[in-house]
Amino acid sequence: MNKFTKIVFKKEIMDTFRDKKTIFSSIIIPIIIFPLIAFVIGLGSSDMVKESKEPVQIALLSEENNGLEMFLKSNDNVNIIKTKDYKKTLDKLEAKVVVKIGEDFDEKIKNGEKPEINLIYDDTSQKSEMAKSRIEQIILSYTNHIVVKRLENEGINPQILEPVDIKSSSVSKEGGTGLLLFSMLLPFMLTIWSAVGGIPAATDLGAGEKERQTLEPLLTTKANRISILMGKYFTVVLAGIIATTASLIGFLIATKINPEFLGESATLSIKSIAIITLVCLEMALAFSSIELAISFYARNFKEAQTYLSPVSILLMVPAYLTMFVDGRAVPEYYFHIPIINTIGIIKEVIVSVYDFKHILITTGWNLVYIALFLMITVKMFEKETVIFRN
Amino acid sequence: MIEVKNISKHFKDVVAVDNISFKVEEGKVFGLLGENGAGKTTTLRMLATMLKPSTGTANIRGYDLIQEPADVRGEIGILFGGETGLYDRLSARENIEYFGLLNGMTKKDISVQIEKLSRSLEMEDYIERRVGKFSKGMKQKVALARSIVHNPSIMFFDEPTSGLDVTAVRIVHKFIKELKSEGKTIIFSSHSMNEVEKLCDEVGIIHKGKMIEVTSLEGLKEKFKEENLEEIFVSLVGEKNE
Repeated sequence: MNKFTKIVFKKEIMDTFRDKKTIFSSIIIPIIIFPLIAFVIGLGSSDMVKESKEPVQIALLSEENNGLEMFLKSNDNVNIIKTKDYKKTLDKLEAKVVVKIGEDFDEKIKNGEKPEINLIYDDTSQKSEMAKSRIEQIILSYTNHIVVKRLENEGINPQILEPVDIKSSSVSKEGGTGLLLFSMLLPFMLTIWSAVGGIPAATDLGAGEKERQTLEPLLTTKANRISILMGKYFTVVLAGIIATTASLIGFLIATKINPEFLGESATLSIKSIAIITLVCLEMALAFSSIELAISFYARNFKEAQTYLSPVSILLMVPAYLTMFVDGRAVPEYYFHIPIINTIGIIKEVIVSVYDFKHILITTGWNLVYIALFLMITVKMFEKETVIFRN
Repeated sequence: MIEVKNISKHFKDVVAVDNISFKVEEGKVFGLLGENGAGKTTTLRMLATMLKPSTGTANIRGYDLIQEPADVRGEIGILFGGETGLYDRLSARENIEYFGLLNGMTKKDISVQIEKLSRSLEMEDYIERRVGKFSKGMKQKVALARSIVHNPSIMFFDEPTSGLDVTAVRIVHKFIKELKSEGKTIIFSSHSMNEVEKLCDEVGIIHKGKMIEVTSLEGLKEKFKEENLEEIFVSLVGEKNE
């Protein structure tokens, strides 16, 4: 860094981080966004979990006493609500399902006929739907009991119904579902933040400088334009890195608030962190220069914000496209596509795949973009029609 | 000394400045007088190396404008427009110091200069405060101090009083007079005849990008047999408009 670049960098850092707007959008928002999502998801899911552990509330419509009614009444997982108007009870979700047992139930079972059971529920309610599945399972256990009895009466071993014994076990050492979520969300988040984290700073350092009319005196100092530009560029890069780090902190807080959100055991090795840092830094270096160029092109702050918002949308596309790509099977050609290659690398290292060929290809491409974008930015900053556009 | 040689600036098809030449002797105040859009700001921007001339050049204290722009910048200080262009989140001292550093000064030299300037511009009470909440007059003083912190031998003022109230205008005028007494060479653009009459030794009248008259104030009055500068200006520009 040359002398003037250092002076500009130091001043811009001081100025940028005295700005409440930048602190809010680059530090506070990235820190709170994930804990907030985790908290809300936690609230919603814990309500569901609570519901699934409590006895399922049903209303019973039965003409006469029968075996199934007895079974349901004696089952600890079932709570029968007494009601005259079952529709109203269902509407109010006092009973989540209405079980209607057909006439002559026991008689028909005895004769080998098929008596009817109607489950009336509300498919627009998640709770009613869940209760329907639970009561189905409970009734199934009753009917299984009947089947076993019938087979035994015929002298057949009920085991005949289970020709194979299926057992499943995961080879994953840690994480499981948590790790799966972790590998979906972390690359998405890190890539986005390292690319767009510098936008608030870039807006202020380019268009903001024009709007305040501080650019003209700046251009008449002894410092040449490249030094001034580089000082500003490194500030935007640092703002991007800080925003990314802030979002990572937010991510870690989120896992503490709601461990089920991402899986407690999802951890990263030093090697993984080093590789992720490298590719994220490359993203910040590439995007910061293009953001600064756009900001300098804009006539004022508002115009810069309008031009820069599509950058975030542009990033969302590859981020969403790769959301469900498996870290163990990232297609080779992905590493030649901008943004997607960075996401690919992060996905790989999360599941402990360290393919240095992939890292090399991605870094190679990223270096090309950094050089290209910087060249464009320098050219723009030297253009009178850009600097004096207003 | 400043010697402007056949300088022009074209923006696509528009000729903003058309083959202008003039000289300003050391220690003199040169007034660039013209209507809005006449080419005053473009001329000063070229002399301050912000814009590159389409043709021509200038010699500023021995440095060529085109060949040695960085050296030229070391010799000049600028104050453009009535807007002060300060960083609101920095203190007055930090604003001035930043420009001192960018002009190659050491922190020690800057500190000495700031002490001197804050005394002469009466800024001692608020030099450590952030400029965001300053009044226009206070901001103007900080901007003046910033433009002169590196002790340039040449100053360019582009309509420095536009949009200012009477008090702020007086601050600027007093400041320019002090610079003149210190022997600095000044180019001062304005569309106010009064201002030019009050402050300048020589005047250049610029109209539609062309320099239509360069002379001393006395010379101008003698030539047109008229005491009122406004009348002279109207008759000069009026002729060209017809």
